[in-house]
Amino acid sequence: MALDRYEWLGRLANRLPEDCLVMSTYIGAVSFEWGHHTEEHHRTAHLGQMGDVIGLALGLALALPHRKVVCLDGDGSVLMELGQLVAMGEQQPGNLVVFVVDNGVYESIGWSGQGRRPTATAGHVDLAAIAAGCGVPYTVDVTAEDELDAEIELAFSRSVCSFINVRTRPGHSHVRPRRTDGIEDKYRFVRYVERLEGIWITGVPPQDIALMKGKEH
Amino acid sequence: MAMTAAALDAAHDGLRAAGIDFVSGLPDGWQRPLHERVEIDPEIRYVPVCNEGVGFSICAGAWLGGKKPALIMENSGIRVASEYIARISLGTGVPVTLLCSYRGDVGETEHWGIPHGIVAEPLLQALRVKYLVVRHVEDLAKSIVRAKRIAEAQLHPAAVLVSGDCVWED
Repeated sequence: MALDRYEWLGRLANRLPEDCLVMSTYIGAVSFEWGHHTEEHHRTAHLGQMGDVIGLALGLALALPHRKVVCLDGDGSVLMELGQLVAMGEQQPGNLVVFVVDNGVYESIGWSGQGRRPTATAGHVDLAAIAAGCGVPYTVDVTAEDELDAEIELAFSRSVCSFINVRTRPGHSHVRPRRTDGIEDKYRFVRYVERLEGIWITGVPPQDIALMKGKEH
Repeated sequence: MAMTAAALDAAHDGLRAAGIDFVSGLPDGWQRPLHERVEIDPEIRYVPVCNEGVGFSICAGAWLGGKKPALIMENSGIRVASEYIARISLGTGVPVTLLCSYRGDVGETEHWGIPHGIVAEPLLQALRVKYLVVRHVEDLAKSIVRAKRIAEAQLHPAAVLVSGDCVWED
């Protein structure tokens, strides 16, 4: 049993709390379809790539502990840097929920007559079990749509550091690639966070203006 | 051998003067006392990692949430973190201050430190990471402040490599 990626990402997008932030990949089908489902809302940082999405989400969650942070990652990316799960299990931020699109293949690289190139989760590797072994408080391997509904409900109704691995059917993106690059995505997200939190992230902060002018300010 | 007591104070003072409020890192022999000091500093959120690449990603995420992050590590960790410096910072423009022990610098006593010294500076240059090599304790605090300042200005990491009198009292 496995879920359809486009369909389940849409279901997650529809249930996303208004006040949460999202860290997602910025390349590949997950990013394209998430951007489509969310109408490119500014709450998602499409900034992660292979091996760093959970790390970025963890840092964001630790920086803003009052804010729910959702992470969208893929199995190939998680497998590339399993040390992220060690850090997640050590820190256990209650505001972080990781959803993994685990389709068991390297989808974005294309395929030939021999089929798609498998990831290790197509074999013996169980990402939810690894996350549990790293100390992540709540881990689950989802294989059915009704299970996913229950997990989404649970994830957004409590504050428990969670790793939700969603077994997903391989399949090419249902939508066009996104148009923006990492630079634009970064500024878009940062400006949103600045407004949301009332904080200063880029540019010269007021306390440094005096330094620029060489006098007290 | 670890960094001198004076260098420890200078490094901590530099981090605080720079406004660093979030530190990730993997301790090494030289900067172990700094990790211990930062871990109990109530003004700094300290996140230990087992891999400098993960530490860099965490720092970058913290910056996106408004923190002023630094990654403290041995210079061997630059090699490990380089994948994510390239992906995140060359790709999107995220600043993180890097504070690195400069193993393999002139004066090194350990054979295993030599490769770290050979690779560190060329790798930082390849990653367009500006850096200062600090061999005198009196330069350490202000160098950290300046590295953080240009990191924020260029929206890209900047580094301080610590060596010389900061670790050897010969």
